Amino acid sequence: MTLYNISNTALVISLFSYIAAFIVFVISYTGRRFGNRDPQEQIRKWGTRAFGITVFGLAMQIIYFVSRWIANRFIPVSNLFEFMSFLSMMVIVAFVILYLIYRKPLLGAFATPVGFIILAYAMVFPWEAQPLIPSLNSVWLYIHVTTAATAEAFFAVGFAGGLMYLLRVVKFQSAEKRDRKQQRGVEFTLFAVLCVFGFIFSTMLFRGIGYEAAFAGQEVVQGNVTEVTVEYTMPPIAAPHGYETISMDSFLGMNQPLFQAPDWMNGVNAGRKFNTFLWSLLFGLVLYGLLRLILRKPIGAAIQPVLRDIDPEDLDEITYRAIAIGFPLFTLGALIFAMIWAHIAWNRFWGWDPKEVWALITWLFYSAYLHLRLGRGWLGLRSAWLAVIGFVVVMFTLIGVNLIIAGLHSYAGV
Amino acid sequence: MEETSKPLDMRYDGAPRRSQKPKKNWLDYVWSFFSSVKVGVWLIVLTLLGAAIGSIYPQEEAFIIPPGIDYYESTYGWLGKWYYILGLSHTYTSWWFQLLVLMLGTSIVVASLDRGIPLYKALKKQKPDRTIDFMRRQQLTLEYELPFEAEDQAAADRWLNEVSAQLGKQRFRVSRVGMAVMGEKNRWSRWGPYVNHLGLIIFLLIILIRTLPGFTLEEYISVLEGDTIPIPNTNYYLKNEKFTVEFYENDELRGQFREEERVVPRRFETKAVLYTCTERCGTSDPVLQEAVQGTIEVNNPLEYRGLSIYQFGYEVTPQIRSVTVSLFDKQTGENYGQFTLKTQNPDLSYTAGPYKLRLHNYYPEFSLDATGAPTTVSGSKPNAPAYIFMITGPGLPEEGSSYIYFPREIDKERFRQDDINAAVGTGDKFEIRAGGMEDVEIATYTSTLTARTDPTVPYLLFGGLIAFIGLAMGFYWQHRRIWLRVDGNRLTLAAHTNKNWYGMRTEAKKLLEALGLEAAAVQIKQKNREGEPS
Repeated sequence: MTLYNISNTALVISLFSYIAAFIVFVISYTGRRFGNRDPQEQIRKWGTRAFGITVFGLAMQIIYFVSRWIANRFIPVSNLFEFMSFLSMMVIVAFVILYLIYRKPLLGAFATPVGFIILAYAMVFPWEAQPLIPSLNSVWLYIHVTTAATAEAFFAVGFAGGLMYLLRVVKFQSAEKRDRKQQRGVEFTLFAVLCVFGFIFSTMLFRGIGYEAAFAGQEVVQGNVTEVTVEYTMPPIAAPHGYETISMDSFLGMNQPLFQAPDWMNGVNAGRKFNTFLWSLLFGLVLYGLLRLILRKPIGAAIQPVLRDIDPEDLDEITYRAIAIGFPLFTLGALIFAMIWAHIAWNRFWGWDPKEVWALITWLFYSAYLHLRLGRGWLGLRSAWLAVIGFVVVMFTLIGVNLIIAGLHSYAGV
Repeated sequence: MEETSKPLDMRYDGAPRRSQKPKKNWLDYVWSFFSSVKVGVWLIVLTLLGAAIGSIYPQEEAFIIPPGIDYYESTYGWLGKWYYILGLSHTYTSWWFQLLVLMLGTSIVVASLDRGIPLYKALKKQKPDRTIDFMRRQQLTLEYELPFEAEDQAAADRWLNEVSAQLGKQRFRVSRVGMAVMGEKNRWSRWGPYVNHLGLIIFLLIILIRTLPGFTLEEYISVLEGDTIPIPNTNYYLKNEKFTVEFYENDELRGQFREEERVVPRRFETKAVLYTCTERCGTSDPVLQEAVQGTIEVNNPLEYRGLSIYQFGYEVTPQIRSVTVSLFDKQTGENYGQFTLKTQNPDLSYTAGPYKLRLHNYYPEFSLDATGAPTTVSGSKPNAPAYIFMITGPGLPEEGSSYIYFPREIDKERFRQDDINAAVGTGDKFEIRAGGMEDVEIATYTSTLTARTDPTVPYLLFGGLIAFIGLAMGFYWQHRRIWLRVDGNRLTLAAHTNKNWYGMRTEAKKLLEALGLEAAAVQIKQKNREGEPS
């Protein structure tokens, strides 16, 4: 098991490296006028350092990946932890490629957080590698999953670029109706990112406490009514609909669930997932509130000055470039290779499985983006919004489908 | 920089398109409708929304036996009920979804023809010497005094030769007319979108062809170990020689899986023989000829002449396949002889020493009906097999004596085998029994498989590959052009690319720096950028 220890340690180091790189990227801009030195020179010097830290983190993550591959004896992309950490690695790779083309250190201040948030998210899920089930035992697991994840990583950098563009150009001081709408949109996007943090923090916190609660109820499974128990690891704000409490640890004086999940939420785990969602939202709100209290203005308005010196048109182009690199790869990895594997493993190249449908939806979304941009001249703000929304679609395909719609892609045991 | 009119629309290089005709007949209207990017994007968005709606609840096609409204209502409540009533439970085969895809296909063809052909013509006949007005109205422009006398034609000519050489070094294709030079590279990347659309059309056409009846075959089959069954709608038969499944040991699992002692299969496979039926197909006694045999695993189907048989899963269905029994003399304990009783299509006669046994009746799942007469619950599943023999031989009547035998101990007790045999008089004379568990052959697993023919898959993938190549052409390379002209000693430079302006600027700067015009390189400017389709 020592190889797993090396692997896990390397992964934790890479997480902290990305966080450190993020801080240095931010300092390279905010601290560029410290002392009496040339600001451009400062940015270049600190930007290069931050980039170096990022590359170090990437090297660590590659060590994680290779050593785990050796220990597993198959490529580590077979469960949610492995897949999401691979995705985060590819986000960093995509950033490194775009950094080498455009040399914009500030891109790092947005791409590295996307990378480490995804990595931290991955770390919430069980780390243990499970042996491969027969349907995953194919060389196409390597080909399909890696290509698709690489494409999605470029979309993630496109998201970072799009968000930067919005933060740079949205008029936060304006009270005009159009600008207000944009401001609210940006704030909501930032809030959504904070909710992901909220999910990570709340899961870690309650796991640390060792919180437990259990409920019993009836579910229709394949037409038969079955008695089931559902275990919660977070205090139940919402209990599953129509279930009885078997046991429940007291939490801050809370001894029973606050309410029940609505009855249209079906499935054995629907109540638990809804409860997790509520906690993420609650933590997100608290984080957002704290930030607002510290900054005393909308978060977007507080970030904007940092971006003052960057050319918005460069951001627009970087965003588009990231998506333009990702799109052909996505076509190849998430559709063509997927069809080949589905043909071999499931005896049909396409079966309208929810995951397949959502890969198609992602593809259609980005093709609409490209047609609007190239054919209808949707540049700047509208293009940036589409880049942001597109990544939401990607994340829904990767995680949301497994959470909300069940299908054949079983690796996400959430 | 002087004031110029607004930047030139360089889409399709300004070529006229059919859809832009001012006077239109009805066909032109249809044409412009489908050639419009706006309409195309709407079709994409509507298809996207349709696909999303269909993913909310499982589609009927996802089940081997499509469920009805009751399933949707009992599983998903009133939402499920309405999902079914509105026909959303078969979204992807509904007329409206297929119409959307058809319109999208039409849009792809029309839009590509509308733009591709004029663009091809326009790029084919390009002039290297463009007017100053054309150049000023490009996005990247520069005007600059060159360091020689305005009258010095020879110097200008020498300078342009240097430009040509440098552009060549930067891998541009250079053409020169008089005092004007044009460099162009990667024009072929402009065909990327059209190649992509071609691939998509091939793909969609094959999808259309596939829907013709008889083009594809898909049959689910379940075969118990040892059985041979016909594959419906073909003249093939499949025998499951042996089914094996290996599970992971508990100590190979980790975390939650280990705690819950989950049963995780490592691999499962069916050793199968595929037969073609030559005569009496579909009867209980077909003439079979071996076609191919092999091992079928997940990710590794058995292939024969376009027919593929895939491992789908397995079920645990323990059943007695056969029992090897002996006929004993109840008094002396003498063993007259051994024979094997199968539970599927048992033989009709057996011999044990001097005795002959004729199978009078066989009940795979023995039971007694309301009048107390023996009957079988299931026609084939040997859940409680019972054999009634007529025994003939020394000391027995001519017509034989009957004897009932239950292989399963539990049935023997339940239906009182010994009492029945005693009543007819054979009970104290004979005993049929097996030696032990080793004489009972049990089939534990039923292998579930899918037989499929789909000749279209290679062509579909070919279409997909073409589409990918088109995307790579269009997105990983850019069509770059740069124009330079010298009037006296005044240089006018303009550059255009269909995407990645950053790269174009770098390219122009590199050219000027190589020519020793660092001062000019800094001045190079770009007007408001505008995206452009290829």
